Amino acid sequence: APRCPSRTGSPCLFPAAPSPRRPGASPPVPPPGLLRWQWQEVQVPCLVAAWILVASLAKIVFHLSRKVTSIVPESCLLILLGLGLGGIVLAVAKKAEYQLEPNMFFLFLLPPIVLDSGYFMPSRLFFDNIGAILTYAVVGTLWNSFATGVALWGLHRAGLMDPGVKAGLMDFLLFGSLISAVDPVAVLAVFEEVHVNETLFIIVFGESLLNDAVTVVLYKVFNSFVELGPAHIHATDYVKGVVSFFLVSLGGTAVGLLFAFLLALITRFTKRVRIIEPLFVFLLAYVAYLAAEMVSLSSILAVTFCGICCKKYVEANISQKSRTTVKYTMKTLASSSETIIFMFLGISAVDTSKWAWDTTLVLGTLLFILLFRAVGVVLQTCVLNRFRLIPLDRIDQVVMSYGGLRGAVAFALVILLDGAKVKAKDYFVATTIVVVFFTVIVQGLTIKPLVTWLKVKRSDHHKPTLNEELHEHAFDHILAAVEDIVGHHGYHYWRDKWEQFDKKYLSQLLMRKSAYRLRDEIWDVYYKLNIRDAISFVDQGGHVLSAAKLALPSMPSRTSMSESSVTNLLRESGSGACLDLQVIDTVRSRRDKEDAVMHHVLRGSLYKPRRRYKASYSRHFISPDKQERQDKEIFRQNMKRRLETFKSTKHNVCSSKSKARLKEKGRKKATPVLVMVSSDEEESNSSETEREDDEGIVFIARATDEVLQGKKTPGSLDVCPSPCIIPPSPTLAEKELPWKGDQADLAVYVSSETTKIVPVDMQKAWNQSISSLESIASPPGIETGPQHKRFTCPVLEEQPQSASQVTPEQRSCFQFPSHVSKSSRSQSDSSPDGTEQQELQPLMAAEEPNRIVPSTEPRWLIQFNRASHL
Amino acid sequence: MGNKQTIFTPDLSFYCRLFYRYRDLAPQLVPLDYTDKPDVTLPYELIGSMPELKDNPFRQRIAEVFSEDGEGNMTLDDFLDMFSVLSEMAPRDLKAYYAFKIYDFNNDDYICKSDLEKTVNKLTRNELTPEEVSLACDKVIDEADLDNDGKLSLEDFQHMIIRAPDFLSTFHIRI
Repeated sequence: APRCPSRTGSPCLFPAAPSPRRPGASPPVPPPGLLRWQWQEVQVPCLVAAWILVASLAKIVFHLSRKVTSIVPESCLLILLGLGLGGIVLAVAKKAEYQLEPNMFFLFLLPPIVLDSGYFMPSRLFFDNIGAILTYAVVGTLWNSFATGVALWGLHRAGLMDPGVKAGLMDFLLFGSLISAVDPVAVLAVFEEVHVNETLFIIVFGESLLNDAVTVVLYKVFNSFVELGPAHIHATDYVKGVVSFFLVSLGGTAVGLLFAFLLALITRFTKRVRIIEPLFVFLLAYVAYLAAEMVSLSSILAVTFCGICCKKYVEANISQKSRTTVKYTMKTLASSSETIIFMFLGISAVDTSKWAWDTTLVLGTLLFILLFRAVGVVLQTCVLNRFRLIPLDRIDQVVMSYGGLRGAVAFALVILLDGAKVKAKDYFVATTIVVVFFTVIVQGLTIKPLVTWLKVKRSDHHKPTLNEELHEHAFDHILAAVEDIVGHHGYHYWRDKWEQFDKKYLSQLLMRKSAYRLRDEIWDVYYKLNIRDAISFVDQGGHVLSAAKLALPSMPSRTSMSESSVTNLLRESGSGACLDLQVIDTVRSRRDKEDAVMHHVLRGSLYKPRRRYKASYSRHFISPDKQERQDKEIFRQNMKRRLETFKSTKHNVCSSKSKARLKEKGRKKATPVLVMVSSDEEESNSSETEREDDEGIVFIARATDEVLQGKKTPGSLDVCPSPCIIPPSPTLAEKELPWKGDQADLAVYVSSETTKIVPVDMQKAWNQSISSLESIASPPGIETGPQHKRFTCPVLEEQPQSASQVTPEQRSCFQFPSHVSKSSRSQSDSSPDGTEQQELQPLMAAEEPNRIVPSTEPRWLIQFNRASHL
Repeated sequence: MGNKQTIFTPDLSFYCRLFYRYRDLAPQLVPLDYTDKPDVTLPYELIGSMPELKDNPFRQRIAEVFSEDGEGNMTLDDFLDMFSVLSEMAPRDLKAYYAFKIYDFNNDDYICKSDLEKTVNKLTRNELTPEEVSLACDKVIDEADLDNDGKLSLEDFQHMIIRAPDFLSTFHIRI
């Protein structure tokens, strides 16, 4: 085993030894009392929690100033903080108490980071560059280790080092092997803030992940050589070393793939236990790590490949909420692990008892690792560029050389050395600490200015366009076809074959039927684009506008439309920051009319769903096509309504107002709009910070939800149960239709926003998003049973609640419903607004056919609520 | 077509390799000695019936675009043309032109909506409903259509595809 056997079983990070901090050591016979001091019982977890808390608070403090974090990487700050804290502890306790224990590091701190990076690895980019990554990881690391080791040994032989450094060639090779591996934690921490282009990032980062196998093997082999002593090494041992490299790397990968397969398979069957879906992801990945570690394979490789490979299937299987949970939990865990690692690196450095300084060794190591990395990168790139279509140029090579950061892995490995066997361990520890600090602090600080100065191509965070997606797929197929025609088995050939295999067997086996149908990337992208457009529309309406913001990047040709919509939105939100007073005045009346019309639409179809449901139930066995169309219509109606509510809440309309709308039938005028200034602020805040985030809308929704709740409590208790009362637990619909996640709701909000506000121009967009939702709601391949449930059950569940809302007339119409009476009634309702309706023809035209299609009002509330809790 | 030949490195062994590859497709049709029968063509049926290609949605279109007669029957010249287009040394504009031609199913020098619908249908293996396809195609045109004529001209296409960072890296084959 590379690390396990030598990892001592000491109680890690937090020694149990009595410390002066521990007050009130319990007396031998504790007198019976009401309360007892039980510090010892809680000591370890308490200290762990305290450290994490300190680190997290420190992070908050760092980020108070945008200036500092934009210049200094967080990892540097954390190391400095660790140094400070370690100094304080040292001063108080008179001895260094805490340090980064290898055991703790490898078993608990490293796995989350690796899993996070594997799971969110852009897999296409990774596999496109796999050749370069593997070369740098294997050849590069081997070269670095040997060159550094031998060069240091040369220095030692030349008598330049302190005679206290008792080390032979093998010791130096061992040291070289642990000091030369680029560290994934450090690379990630620094490169994430630098934003170099994707290819550069994936090469450096992929290398840092994949070189683990090489490091493990070299470390293990040299360690055993050192322990055996040079005299007992046979030729077969070298062969064993080479063989074990393949065993460790391929074995680790195999373990990862095995667990990825298991994980995907398990998530296929979690339909009824959604709540533990995220747990499986973490558990199985962790078990993969432990299993690989157990049989002394490369555990980092195992987790990386587990993450890369399972993602596609897991994401398809688990629900939208679980996806969000996995994403955030993973990020939280990884981020806190990283924080603790860097902080404890700083703290550990204070412990001078382990230090033995030798200037030549330190300077020599620093020089050699920089020099040999640069040489290695240049040489390998020379070779690789012969095979790469887009060669890595000089600037890329500089960044790659300079980005070879060392980190906690090296430190943990050097701590693991056996002091009795490796005489120069103390020197090595000191050198490693200096190297780690130098690379993380100095290189971390300077790499950003360097990248700017060299004008390295940065990553442009452009939104995926449908064109790119389309052409990428088309080109894949075309090139695969050409390779097939010529019988040349190249890259495209294998990828095509893999994709066919995946589609035919793996996806069938590992994905749910429902998820499988929806895995269409083109449609995915289209769908995401729609959501984004909608979000940006909403965002723009939410706060003060600048002309630049008006343009939607993904739909440049629609600038004019968005402008007008923004004006409308502004007015809708009732904020005073209007662009054009004139426009506002004219549109104001129209908006009222719209409100009135919307009101009628809402009223018109309030309780139809039940009847409709019966009808559809009796038609249970009609052809699927009809069924599908029906569902679509119902869904469309549903969505439209949901959007309407969302809009009113989004723009901070008092919730009781919408209630009132439902309740009071005859009212034509919309009640005055209430603006919640505080929520506005919160909203703009959140959307400002989360603009980059996919889930920006989530925050907005949550903010308004809070408003809703706050609003509701004083006034509307007697009116009716507010949507917020309904708990955000997964509804039946969600359980039955996993793919019908909250995304659907999000998309709708947005698109309705656009349609409603810009009736004519946006009609198309509106229809598009509606039908995109439809496609989600009713994919052809779905069994009909659940669908019925989906429409019926909410009604039944909500019956008691909704009863309070029902006015006598509503009841009657819900008991004796008919298309004609319903629609005629809504006609008559809106007759005073006849002219206004005509004005709104474009909008209404789309609604007219759907108006007769009913849906469940309570369900709408639930769904809206669910979305807002996202 | 002459200008494309110059793109190749003047390496005879390379041509030989390609020729043998071409001949391997149909040893009974293609003679080793080309001097007597200079216009041997491989019928499309032969290419289209290759087992490796049966799942590929674009097999026919590729053969059509690269063959001189437009029906998928390929001569050795066509075969070589195909490689020069997909060679990494081919200029980007040439690649873009041929990619454009592949999309342009009805050969009217514009990618119109029907062309795109065909592409999307091929790519998604007809799993999307016609409305979905039509919506997606609208969006695609909307994204790339600079002159707002509702269809994509070669200029639109080039503009869009050259902006895409990895077009060069995707549209090539290394022999």
